Amino acid sequence: MSAEVQFYLVILLVYGCVALISCWGLDLQFGDTGILNFAFIVFQAVGAYTAALLTLGPVETGVFGKMQEYFWGADLPFPVPVLVAAGVGALLSVPIGFVALRRLRSDYQAVAMLAVSLIATTMMVASPGFVGGQLGLYAIPQPFEDSFALSSTEATWAYLGFCIACVAVVGWIVVRISRAPLGRTLRAIREHPDAAAALGINLTAVRMGAFVVGNALAALSGALLIQFIGAYSTNDWLFPETFILLAAVIIGGSGNKFGVMLGVLLLPVGLSEAVRYLPSIIRPGLIHQLQFIVLGMMILAFLWFRPTGLCPERRRRFDVDGRARPSLAFGGTWLGLQRGSLKRTRRPADASAEVL
Amino acid sequence: MDLAISAVCFGMVVASILALAAVGFTLQYGVTNIFNLAFPETMVASGFVAYLFNSRGWSIWLCLVVAAVFGGALSLALNVVLYRPFIRRGSSFLALFIASLATGMVIHYTIAAIAAEGSFRYDLAHERAFTIASANITWPQITIMVISAGAMVTVHLFLRRSRLGKAMRATAVDADLARSCGVPTEHVVNVAWLVSGALCGLAGVTFFMTTRSFGATSGRAFLVLIIAAAILGGIGDAYGAMLGAVVIGVTTELGAVWLNPGYKTAVALLILLAVLLVRPQGIRAEFARVREMQA
Repeated sequence: MSAEVQFYLVILLVYGCVALISCWGLDLQFGDTGILNFAFIVFQAVGAYTAALLTLGPVETGVFGKMQEYFWGADLPFPVPVLVAAGVGALLSVPIGFVALRRLRSDYQAVAMLAVSLIATTMMVASPGFVGGQLGLYAIPQPFEDSFALSSTEATWAYLGFCIACVAVVGWIVVRISRAPLGRTLRAIREHPDAAAALGINLTAVRMGAFVVGNALAALSGALLIQFIGAYSTNDWLFPETFILLAAVIIGGSGNKFGVMLGVLLLPVGLSEAVRYLPSIIRPGLIHQLQFIVLGMMILAFLWFRPTGLCPERRRRFDVDGRARPSLAFGGTWLGLQRGSLKRTRRPADASAEVL
Repeated sequence: MDLAISAVCFGMVVASILALAAVGFTLQYGVTNIFNLAFPETMVASGFVAYLFNSRGWSIWLCLVVAAVFGGALSLALNVVLYRPFIRRGSSFLALFIASLATGMVIHYTIAAIAAEGSFRYDLAHERAFTIASANITWPQITIMVISAGAMVTVHLFLRRSRLGKAMRATAVDADLARSCGVPTEHVVNVAWLVSGALCGLAGVTFFMTTRSFGATSGRAFLVLIIAAAILGGIGDAYGAMLGAVVIGVTTELGAVWLNPGYKTAVALLILLAVLLVRPQGIRAEFARVREMQA
């Protein structure tokens, strides 16, 4: 492979990893728990800014005054900023979750989140001294190149390795949550909050749990992104960005972690890469706008024709004694094929009950 | 102090535009229970349609009527083509919420694709300015306030006096009961979308008249002000929305004077969050039907 192709491939894969981690986080909130978090991208930004501040070092004052503006900085060794970023994302989602999730019905939760997202953007733009405002932060050192003295190509491959490791860990976590009794609780809350509350589930606490974990994943993905691209500003986390991730979750199949993976391949990675090679007809911004028009149309089409997404959530079946029936690897329903449609073995209807 | 007075005056202008939009938004929500996030984009689209005619030499006041008609038609079309089929199918309100956001996105980026990055302005005939208690107010701004007040009175008379208005209030309270009492609810819902869209069109043109120059992205920040005003007044309650519009309009302008102008929308958003946190049923819930806002 020539160096250019390698470089392109690595960038694509890193972007894919970042999008996948954040989409899994969003799916944990939206697909499993039924929280429509329009402020999701804000937590990615929180992670990104935290990681940047922890790697940039103290504010430098050059000959021409400050190089770039931020209120505070430190220089910590590599994996620390990423992990701290995830922690900060989790911490910050507690007060916001407290405002939004405590008493509101779920559509007002979504409105509150939208408000949070817009507040965050306007505040950051209005106060450039905090983390750079619209100019943003830049020249953030890449981890492997500096600390381990690798060449540029080697460093990007090493970084990709780290991202893939993160994806593996995060994937394990979200699949575990989804299959554990906790996952059942989350789905119960999504399907019927009142019934779940009647069974003694503390709705606010469980929702808050999913909210915090999902946002921690968003922050993690933001940290991974900024450590790689090295620059970040308020234009990178406007609220339509959440919409792209949400589209990936809906089109892939909300509630199905592998479906979400497919959605990530199709949308944030596939669509943006596909349009990259279109010649910029008429004027430069047009492609970007057409991309969003296509995205909106696709969401509407999926909501109408296939609301469950490409890979619908697995229908979990339980026998009368309460034991879960075994399912296919990759979670039972794959590309809409039910287990029963492959094997023509029918069980008597009363022998099993479908639960959530 | 002078700054504060002119901020309050301009705040009242903003409030009258906001009242048009917020009453339209809340009226439609109250009747249909759909959180229409495509609302500000309808506003922008109407504003651009008005520009199309205005640039051909039509008077801006005539264009205002055209925009109101266009806004009503667009929002009615959205209901018939998009939202009603989804509701008939029994989609959850989260799905409808996302669908309305997606629709808004499509409209927004379609306008952006056509209008490009350009900035536009209406050709206003009279721009004479008056000075009232050290505040400068232009002739169009006064007219906007009069139009808005007129629209509010019309909405009030419509809701209280006309048969259709009564049917609309009945549908908002309990659609099933209204239907079984012989109210043609589908027709009423259509009228609600039409009225809401017309108010939206008026709001769009008047908003662009006060901002002077406008572009495809102008509507986005306004969405939050609309939602803030509507929720502050208790969503679904037209009179509350008028009150909410005044509060939000004046506070944001005062906030712009006393704090940083960049924090203008943030002030409205903070009010919105505070209301959602403390009193989600709105400020005059005792007078209106209490909505099921809390889980």
